Amino acid sequence: MKATQCFFQDGEHKWLAIVRDPERPDALIDTNEYLVAYNGAGLLLDPGGAEVFPAVFSALSAEFDPAALAGLFASHQDPDIISSLALWLEFNPKLPCYVSWLWASFIPHFGGSAESFVSIPDEGMEINLNGLPLQAVPAHYLHSSGNFHLYDARARVLFSGDVGAALLPSKTDGLFVENFDAHIRHAEAFHRRWMGSNEAKRAWCERVSRLSIDMLCPQHGAIYQGPDVERFINWFDGLRVGVAVG
Amino acid sequence: MIPDSGTTPRSLAHRSAGQDLVRIVQINEEIKSIVAVAFKINIMALNAIFLAKRAGSTALGFGVLSNELRVFSQDLKNAMGGLSGVIHKAVSDVSVLLQDQRMLRLLQEAEVRSGGNIRVREALRARYDRMEAHRANLALQRRQLQLVLGNVAQLVELGGVLAKSAKIEAAYGQAFSSSLSQVSGEFDGVVEEIRRSLGHLNKSEFFSSR
Ligand SMILES: [Fe+2]
Ligand SMILES: [Fe+2]
Repeated sequence: MKATQCFFQDGEHKWLAIVRDPERPDALIDTNEYLVAYNGAGLLLDPGGAEVFPAVFSALSAEFDPAALAGLFASHQDPDIISSLALWLEFNPKLPCYVSWLWASFIPHFGGSAESFVSIPDEGMEINLNGLPLQAVPAHYLHSSGNFHLYDARARVLFSGDVGAALLPSKTDGLFVENFDAHIRHAEAFHRRWMGSNEAKRAWCERVSRLSIDMLCPQHGAIYQGPDVERFINWFDGLRVGVAVG
Repeated sequence: MIPDSGTTPRSLAHRSAGQDLVRIVQINEEIKSIVAVAFKINIMALNAIFLAKRAGSTALGFGVLSNELRVFSQDLKNAMGGLSGVIHKAVSDVSVLLQDQRMLRLLQEAEVRSGGNIRVREALRARYDRMEAHRANLALQRRQLQLVLGNVAQLVELGGVLAKSAKIEAAYGQAFSSSLSQVSGEFDGVVEEIRRSLGHLNKSEFFSSR
C-alpha cells in the first residue's frame, strides 16, 4: 500500500507526496506521485503507470477527494509517468492532462482523445489551479526531448520529474534526503545515462538557480530540501551527462 | 459498453467499474466526514465529564450518562478505524476492477477484429477469470462494508438514546441546567449528523444489486 504524506501546508494550500509501495512488483521502478492542492482543487503530477493505478488512487483517496482533481500534469511521455491516463479518464472523462505539445499525439496511445490534452509550448506556461499560479518550467532533454517541471512560487516547491531521481536501496524509505553525499551516489549513474544533453543541463541549472526553492521533488527517490537543493544543482551542473558505453 | 463478440461470456457487459469508482469515492468522502465528526464527539464527551464533575451532586444522573457517552465515543472511534480500513480496501479493489475492464475491452476488440483468433480468445478468457475473481473479492468487500456500516448505525442509535437521556437529566441540573443542556444538545446534534450521513451511504447505488 502506498502512503500519502503532506510535506507543505499553508492553510488550504498543500503539497502531498504519494510514495513507497512495498507491495509493488520488483520489476517496476518505484515512483513518487505528487498532488498540489489549493482551495479544494488539485493537480496530480506524474500520476504513474497503469499497474500502480490502484495503489495511487486509493492512497490519494485517503487524503483528497479524487473528484476534486482539476487536472493531471505529465512531465514527459514515459510509461512510469502517464500510462495510467486511460484509467484516470475512466474515473473522470473530463480531466485535462497538461503535457508538452511534442507528446500530445503520442500519449493518446495510452488512452484519451484530442480533447484530453492541454499542450504546453516549448517556452512553458502558467497553469492556474483554482487561483494558484503554477509555472511549467522547460527542462527539455532532461531526459525527454519535450519535458517540463512544475514550479510553485508560493510554496517554493519545484517538482523536477526525473531530474534529481535516485534509485535507492529498498531499505531507504525516508521522504527527504538525509545525507546528501551518501544519497547522490544512487543518483549519479542514472543522471549520466538518462540525461542526454550537457547544454540543456547547463541551461536548466541556470534557470532554476534563479528560482527560490525550498524543496526539489523528483519522481523517483527522496526530496531535496534546504541547502541540499543548491547542493544538488551544483552537483548536477558539474556532472558530465549523455554518457553510454557501447 | 463492452461489445459482445458472441464468443465470450455475456456477463462481460457488467456495470462499469468507472461508475463504481465514482460511487465508492463518494462513499469514501462521506465516511471521511463521519470520521471527522466522530472526532468531535470525543472532545464533547470529555467536556461533558468535566461539566458533570463540576456540577457534582446536583447532576448525579448526568454524571453517570457522561461516562457512558465517553465509552460510546471511544467505541465509535474504534468502529471508525475499522470503517476506514474497509473503505480503503474497497477503493483499491474497484480500481483493480477498472484495470481489468480496460484490458478486457482491448482484448475483446482484438478478438473480434482477428475473427476470433484462438490465442486471443484464450487470453481473453484468462483475463475474464481474473476479473471474476476480483469481482468476487469486491462483492465480499461490499458485504463487509455494509456489515461495518450496520454496526456503526447500531452504535449510533445507542449514542442517540444516551444523548437524549442526557438532555432529560440536564433539566435536573439546577444551576448547571443550561450548560448541561447545551452540552447534551450539541451531542445529540452530532449524533444526528452521523445518522443522516449513514442514511445517505446506505442509499448509494454501490450497494444496489446489479
Ligand atoms: Fe522518464
Ligand atoms: Fe521516471
